[in-house]
Amino acid sequence: MTIHDLLAVLPEAIVTLVAIVVLVIDAGVGERRARPWLPWVTIVGLAIALASQSWAPAGGTFFGGFVVVDDFSRFFRLLFIVLAAFTVLVAPPYLRREEVSAGEFYATVLFSTIGAMTIALATDLITLFVGIELMSIPVYVLAGLQRRDRYANEASLKYFLLGAFSTAILLYGFAWLFGISGSTDLAKIAAAVRTAGLGSPAVVVALALVTTGLGFKAAVVPFHQWTPDAYEGAPTPSTAFMSVAPKAAAFAAILRVMATALGPIQLDWALVFAILAVITMTTGNIVALVQTNVKRMLAYSSIAHTGYILAAVAATAAGASAGAAVLFYVFAYGIMNLGAFACLELLDLEGTRGATLDELNGLWSRHAAGATAFTIFLVNLTGIPPTVGFLAKFLVFQPVIDAGFTWLAVAIALNAAAAAFYYLRVVVHMFMYDAEAAAPKVEPARVLSWSLGIASIATIVLGILPDPIYSFAVRAAGPILTK
Amino acid sequence: MIFDPPILPSVLTLLLVIPLVGIVPLLAFVRDARAAKQIAIVTTFVELVVSLIMLAQFRVGEAGFQMVESVPWLPSLGIRYEVGVDGISVLLVVLTTLLTFISVLYSSGGAIKQRVGEFMIAFLLLEVGMVGVFVALDLFLFYVMFELMLIPMYLIIGIWGGTRRVYATLKFVLFTLAGSLLMLVAIVAVYLNSGPAGSRTLSFPDLIAGPTRFAPEFQVWAFLAFALAFAIKLPMVPFHTWLPDAHVEAPTAGSIVLAGILLKAGGYGLLRFALPLFPIGAQVWLPIIIVLSVVAILYGAAVSTVQKDLKKLIAYSSVAHMGFVTLGLFVLNTQGGVGAVLQMLNHGVVTGALFLFVGIEYEKTHRRQIADLGGFANHWPLYTAFFGIFVLASLGLPGLNGFVGEFLVLLGTFRYGGQPISGLLWGPLAAIGVILAAIYLLWMFQRVMYGPVREAYKALPDLTPIEVACAAPLLALTILLGVFPQPVIAIIQPSVERMLALAGATVTVAVH
Repeated sequence: MTIHDLLAVLPEAIVTLVAIVVLVIDAGVGERRARPWLPWVTIVGLAIALASQSWAPAGGTFFGGFVVVDDFSRFFRLLFIVLAAFTVLVAPPYLRREEVSAGEFYATVLFSTIGAMTIALATDLITLFVGIELMSIPVYVLAGLQRRDRYANEASLKYFLLGAFSTAILLYGFAWLFGISGSTDLAKIAAAVRTAGLGSPAVVVALALVTTGLGFKAAVVPFHQWTPDAYEGAPTPSTAFMSVAPKAAAFAAILRVMATALGPIQLDWALVFAILAVITMTTGNIVALVQTNVKRMLAYSSIAHTGYILAAVAATAAGASAGAAVLFYVFAYGIMNLGAFACLELLDLEGTRGATLDELNGLWSRHAAGATAFTIFLVNLTGIPPTVGFLAKFLVFQPVIDAGFTWLAVAIALNAAAAAFYYLRVVVHMFMYDAEAAAPKVEPARVLSWSLGIASIATIVLGILPDPIYSFAVRAAGPILTK
Repeated sequence: MIFDPPILPSVLTLLLVIPLVGIVPLLAFVRDARAAKQIAIVTTFVELVVSLIMLAQFRVGEAGFQMVESVPWLPSLGIRYEVGVDGISVLLVVLTTLLTFISVLYSSGGAIKQRVGEFMIAFLLLEVGMVGVFVALDLFLFYVMFELMLIPMYLIIGIWGGTRRVYATLKFVLFTLAGSLLMLVAIVAVYLNSGPAGSRTLSFPDLIAGPTRFAPEFQVWAFLAFALAFAIKLPMVPFHTWLPDAHVEAPTAGSIVLAGILLKAGGYGLLRFALPLFPIGAQVWLPIIIVLSVVAILYGAAVSTVQKDLKKLIAYSSVAHMGFVTLGLFVLNTQGGVGAVLQMLNHGVVTGALFLFVGIEYEKTHRRQIADLGGFANHWPLYTAFFGIFVLASLGLPGLNGFVGEFLVLLGTFRYGGQPISGLLWGPLAAIGVILAAIYLLWMFQRVMYGPVREAYKALPDLTPIEVACAAPLLALTILLGVFPQPVIAIIQPSVERMLALAGATVTVAVH
């Protein structure tokens, strides 16, 4: 290990440092006095971490081949830092209201972010696994941070048990990969897989186990059962974070493992992924249609979006455009989904359950900016232009059709049309019905409102001028997928 | 061309930007209804004037695109911001700006009482989408504009609409979205088939430039996806069921642009994109479309006859009128094509006006059931005169604009010799539709205007000056286009012939 190695992971090191600083301030100064400015400490720290990339080496492998810095890892660094910052900006009103420890929340988010960033750095199964665990365990904590809430406890326990179970399956899959190749290096595994081919039962077993394990993390149907309860029961700021960052990280892992290590047998798993994608999006959308609780509806909708992203993964035969589509979609999804959940934090509701449709009635007349921002996020999720959510779908269609899965593209189109019903139904309740007498109070939180407003406008700007992010995604997909 | 050289460069971009500029002060004055009305009126008026300048800059007699602007938009994908107008779109743009101005003017007169600022913002956004649909030459840009019309209209119906507005607006959005998302799949497929990676494009002029066409099998399915989206928007039978609901629940201004402009986006899309890009595909589906068009003409007319609600009657009559548009387009000859475009323009003017007058009547009486009305002829002479002329235009009386389009479409249909059965069958059937239109419209006029008037209506005033100001330009156009359609045909014909030639039609016989 040299100075060079340490500089390569400077952003990760800084995020770690910020997490520790936040915990120390929280413990030293005291919860009450630290609460107002802890978010800003976190934001500044994250900004420094992002900026520090310019001092880090431009690229290459480090720590003896355990860590790689390329455009792929840089893309995810940017994404995870943005998501963590967004989470921290919108969380304070909820945390204060529900008396959740702020320092613990921010620090836990940061620790999970480090794990997610580590996954994107991995070219080795060991690094990858450490990253996955480092990301997952803080998220289990985040789900249960509201200690006295029964639903939060249920969410945390369910998420933890199923998460631990899936991690074990994934690890077993990794063991098979190691058995096939005698190495944990993804490139060496690829070489061994190419020689062995799908004829070897060991490869089939490894493929099945790894797909299952990573499918759990990304909430792919039929490995999604934990999602609705965990998302609904967790404190809303935690839900906002855990619906986007772990999913994005899971897709980073899927791209690294499936496209690199299992790339040689890509033609064989592509069809499986395509079928899983259709099942996932259809299940998510159909169940979301009948939900009356908006938080739970968004949980199912996030399953549907997993399906759309998975469709692009299945299309890796189309080359870099597939990888770019995955990355762009994950980025767009991160902002729009986090934003949608964060809008629920505007409402002063007891417990973690989030708002029902009726509780959103007439939100427009009570908080026009919040209702408008929520609408923009929902239009994003529906995939209507000129939003980044539309562009993400457009970019997914392209490799999917190019790879010969036209039926999959048609399935996405029909699913998106059906999904419009439940997204726009929320708009109906906010704009077209009058508030009831028992309508929940609206939080007069300025930072939260401004963050939502800026993020919602950003989704439109990125929808009209997506080229900076898209070209970054194309470059980032380069090292992973080249035709 | 009156202005030579053109006095306004980038006029089409200007048309897309002006409503957006108008939104900025609206956001500041969103709570001030008076200021919001003034800002919206000024913005849409400036937009109208600029569109008239654009029309004056248009070189009549040229078939190709004019005032084209083309800059890279998503360079890594080869997608361009490309706008331009030809003889087909230039008049639709002017129709859009005119009807939007009239709608905003009428709404300012008191028809919209709550949340005026937000209503005007939605309307200006809608205008961007509507103008954008007609000027976009890149398929990606076209799709963005096509969908941009969706959310503002969704809100306009859903917030300012009638009692069943939520059901109506969700139905409208879901129908439209289902079709357009399938079209998006087809657009992406067109993109992938447009060339090898690196030189792919969605620019319409580029796509039709070379002699190479898409593979026949691909054309069959791509045409279906495009046609489905446009058939829902138009709407064609059997995808029309959203239309009566949306029209009945929409506020008057929403109904005017819905009938006047949004439906035209469907007909325009068929002529501009579906036919020229996929001529072989069009040939495969053409018999079905012709049959459905004639069904729409007869069914729409028959259903209109039995309507009890005034707005619903006009909504169903739109289904019949749009049947003439698709019939004219798909008989694939000059008369039919020119007639279809004229029919789109005329329907925009006349049906827009009819919805305006139903709105005016409803504002006064709060009744729309035909049985509740009657005897207005004696009390509202001005209203009756205007309304009467628009009704006569709608039923296709010679001398008024409705006649010209329908006549040309019928002429084209009689000349149609193709599959499955020649136009000698379809022509007479469509002509029956014209007769039925006379029956249901005149019967409606009789029930609403004649007979005894209710006591409660006697005190109600005739048209206000602002209402006359809204109706006058439409009346002028109705008469002008009816008596003297030749200048308009001269604008439309070369471009229609160009599109039809791309669609493989015979265009040797001129109209004159």
